Amino acid sequence: MKQVTRSRTALLLMGACVVFTAMVAFLAWRLSSSRLDTPPAHTASLDRREDWTAYGGTWEAVDGVMRNNSDERGAKLMSGSANWKNYSVEADVQLLGQYGDAGLILRARNEEEGVDAYNGYFAGLRDLDDSVILGRADFGWREYQSVPVKPRVNAQSWYHLKFLAYECDFVVTATSLSGDITTAATRNQDCLQSGRFGLKSYATGALWRNVQVRPATRADEVAMIGPEPPPSAVAHDLAGGATSDTLDRDLEAIDRETKNHHFDPHAIPIGNLRLLAPGKLTQVTVHGIVTLTSPVLFIQDAGAGLAIVRRDARLPLEIGDEVEATGDLAPGDFSSVLKNASVRVLWSHSPVAPVSVTASQAASGNYDAMFIEIEGLLQQKEQGPNQSLVLTLSSGSQSFRAIVSGKGRTSFPWTLEEKSRLQLHGICVIDPAYTQNQTPFAVILPAIDDIEVVQRPPWWSTGHIVAGIIVLLLLVLAAQTIHGRLERMKLRAVFEERERLAHEIHDTLAQSFAGIGYQLQAIHDEVGNETELREHLDLATDLVRTSHDEARRSISALRSETVEKLGLLQALDECAARIANGGPIEVQLRNVGGGDPGSIPPRVADALFRIGQEAIANAVRHADASKMVISLLHQSTAWQLLIEDDGRGFPSGQDSANFGIRGMGKRAESIGAALDIRSSPGAGTSVQVTVPRVKRFIRSRWREYDRKVR
Amino acid sequence: MTVYWNAPTRPHDVQKQIALLEKVVALHYRGIVLAPDETLALRTPIKHALATHIPIVVVGTELGIDPASNLSYVLNDEVAGGRLAARRLGLILNGQGAVAIVGLDPKLKSMTLRDRSFEDTLASEFPRIRVIARRPGQASAAQEQETTGELLQSGTSLEALVALSADATRGAYYALIESNRAGVIHLIGFDQDLLPPIRNGGLDSVVAQDTFEIGRLAISQIDGRLHGAQVPDKLIVQPKLLTRENIDSPEMREVLTAHWWEGQ
Repeated sequence: MKQVTRSRTALLLMGACVVFTAMVAFLAWRLSSSRLDTPPAHTASLDRREDWTAYGGTWEAVDGVMRNNSDERGAKLMSGSANWKNYSVEADVQLLGQYGDAGLILRARNEEEGVDAYNGYFAGLRDLDDSVILGRADFGWREYQSVPVKPRVNAQSWYHLKFLAYECDFVVTATSLSGDITTAATRNQDCLQSGRFGLKSYATGALWRNVQVRPATRADEVAMIGPEPPPSAVAHDLAGGATSDTLDRDLEAIDRETKNHHFDPHAIPIGNLRLLAPGKLTQVTVHGIVTLTSPVLFIQDAGAGLAIVRRDARLPLEIGDEVEATGDLAPGDFSSVLKNASVRVLWSHSPVAPVSVTASQAASGNYDAMFIEIEGLLQQKEQGPNQSLVLTLSSGSQSFRAIVSGKGRTSFPWTLEEKSRLQLHGICVIDPAYTQNQTPFAVILPAIDDIEVVQRPPWWSTGHIVAGIIVLLLLVLAAQTIHGRLERMKLRAVFEERERLAHEIHDTLAQSFAGIGYQLQAIHDEVGNETELREHLDLATDLVRTSHDEARRSISALRSETVEKLGLLQALDECAARIANGGPIEVQLRNVGGGDPGSIPPRVADALFRIGQEAIANAVRHADASKMVISLLHQSTAWQLLIEDDGRGFPSGQDSANFGIRGMGKRAESIGAALDIRSSPGAGTSVQVTVPRVKRFIRSRWREYDRKVR
Repeated sequence: MTVYWNAPTRPHDVQKQIALLEKVVALHYRGIVLAPDETLALRTPIKHALATHIPIVVVGTELGIDPASNLSYVLNDEVAGGRLAARRLGLILNGQGAVAIVGLDPKLKSMTLRDRSFEDTLASEFPRIRVIARRPGQASAAQEQETTGELLQSGTSLEALVALSADATRGAYYALIESNRAGVIHLIGFDQDLLPPIRNGGLDSVVAQDTFEIGRLAISQIDGRLHGAQVPDKLIVQPKLLTRENIDSPEMREVLTAHWWEGQ
């Protein structure tokens, strides 16, 4: 059993590998063939509608035959690559109508819907004057060649058409079923160099089959027209039929067209068929315009529509053909069916415009067998029998089905979303074969292009609303979380600010009050000595004023203006003089590294000043120092403030919990600096603060990087 | 100058023509020449296009919108056309007989103008020629053929038919061929489309629009407006009567020349 399982696994793996390799090869072929300037020799797949782009027309591929049922003036179906240069296209072509042309397009670009709306070359058969034509379209038609076909171009007969483009030579041959070959060729100076190929018909429906594309060489051209170069392209200036040279051909074609329109004047209006005796077959003749050809033939006159079952379905019919039908009438409740009917085309070019109805109107049965335009909301889509697509739609209180042939398509042509509002053009039928007795009526669509999305589904479906509520809740939750975090951060900032203010007051007002106290003590000591007394009173007054200023500044800006005005070193010097108050202490200032103390960011300078102020105060008041060195070191990566005194010092660890030293530590921390206090009894104290120059560091690295990149 | 030319693939497809007009407006072409399929339906789209200040020249038929700084008309002289047809009819009927008019189309002002001029001229210059039937225009030549065929089978005695449009001319000719009365009942048509029967007399004559001159003047007007020149609000181009005698004349060959834009 295990052995079998392993074999199966191996087989599956091999199969997957083969499929993967085939897919890769196919994709590579598609990519390369679309980029190369020469097409690979291949037979175009008419059934793969995704390979083709339609510009007008009603295109349908059935059993390897591409059919355009429209008699528009210039319906095109394009394929291939815009880069293709020298190549030929061959196909069997059949005209359905008596008064138009059909053939092949080469080297086309800029295709649009419209008459001759492309840049490219066209060669085809025209039964208007029984000729093979060759010319160029540049949003306007230039006909270079019009060569008579002997004996003539017959509608509903196959011709083999080969159209070749090599350099600026264009050659076409048309071969009839009897083997007669008609050739037209031209050399077009300033020719279009490359482009897609396509199928085109003008004023008639047409069929194409066996469409083959091959690279073309000079040898291929010679095989078609011999070694002589083709004549230079000269556009015929005169309108068709204006010259006497083609008079006989022109009149003959007109005569054929005229006779083709002969009709029975005793035909019965379709609406009157209901008035005939019910329950028995009656042979009648009717006139009407074809509104649907497949799966059932429907015609319509000014008043009503009719389904027709043909005796011989070989005659190709196209939508817009006015036909005369004779057959046995089988009356129905709402509309009749003409059975065993013979159908003759009177003329084409007369498409019926759809009657716009609501679902309620269609559900009345009054539009049975009529070509209608109707709107509805798509409720469901499914694959029906014979590759058909079945859509279920609703409108108001009615629901209905829409059926369209999906032949030639491997999947749904577009993503039709449920709840989309669709507009449909098709035949309204109440036959249970189509409605399954589930809906009051159904609409048979002539082609997939008869579905138009009027409005995409609304965004507020149940699923979307639920999703929206979930997203909203998540957003509210996120906002709540962010708000909570912000509140906490705010609270923390308040606490930090309070602490900072406490340090600030300690460093400013407390220091000043200490100075005032010191002066008052001196006054007390100096009572009796008027001169000294006055001096101490002056100093105490100054201290009070300074304290007042400091308090104001602390409140308003929380930083020292002294630093801002004098610079860090001078401010510290002044601070030392003020605290020493003329005491026997020598202060030395050192600015090492040549930097500008003013370049230190204000926040950093302020913190350094406060730390320095505390260190100076400690040196003067507690250490009894006689000499103090204040150094500011400008390094490339840091600033360093060093305050050294020769005071009595203190043992390591002592006073470390002192509020002043703790304050220095806090201040250092607030600017990301490292504080190093070294002292020992009798050996003085050094306070060193090192502030990394973060911004400059980053900036210098960036400059270095930028230099390297350049 | 590059000319973008396009038209709906179905005749009288006004919606497609409006869509094409809106497209070229959106693509910012420097000027538009429009031959309207209908008078009323094109008014609003033309007004929208005029609001974008693109110079527009309307050819063939008036829309009822007054010429403005960027709108002018190059028109076929429909009054002269109706008069030409009436005088030709007076000549070939020797001033006496019964005539039917087919292809009447109230949706185009040009059609009503040519009909009115034709009948006024007959009444004033050939009072013994009676208009005994009028038939409305149809969507295609085939339907025109049916209309004329019914007229001919109704037993109405006619000496001549006047068809006011190209489709009506073709349909009336087909009906005459079908009833073996081509050349017996004189047919005068409008707008050059069906040409070969002029040479054998099946179609007596056609009142031809000088489309070459209309196209040339329309492009000249666009060019003039783009260069700040004063251009007339309305230019009227005289039609020409195309007959068996003059169909190969240089004057008529110019009218029948197709690619008028080449070498401009």
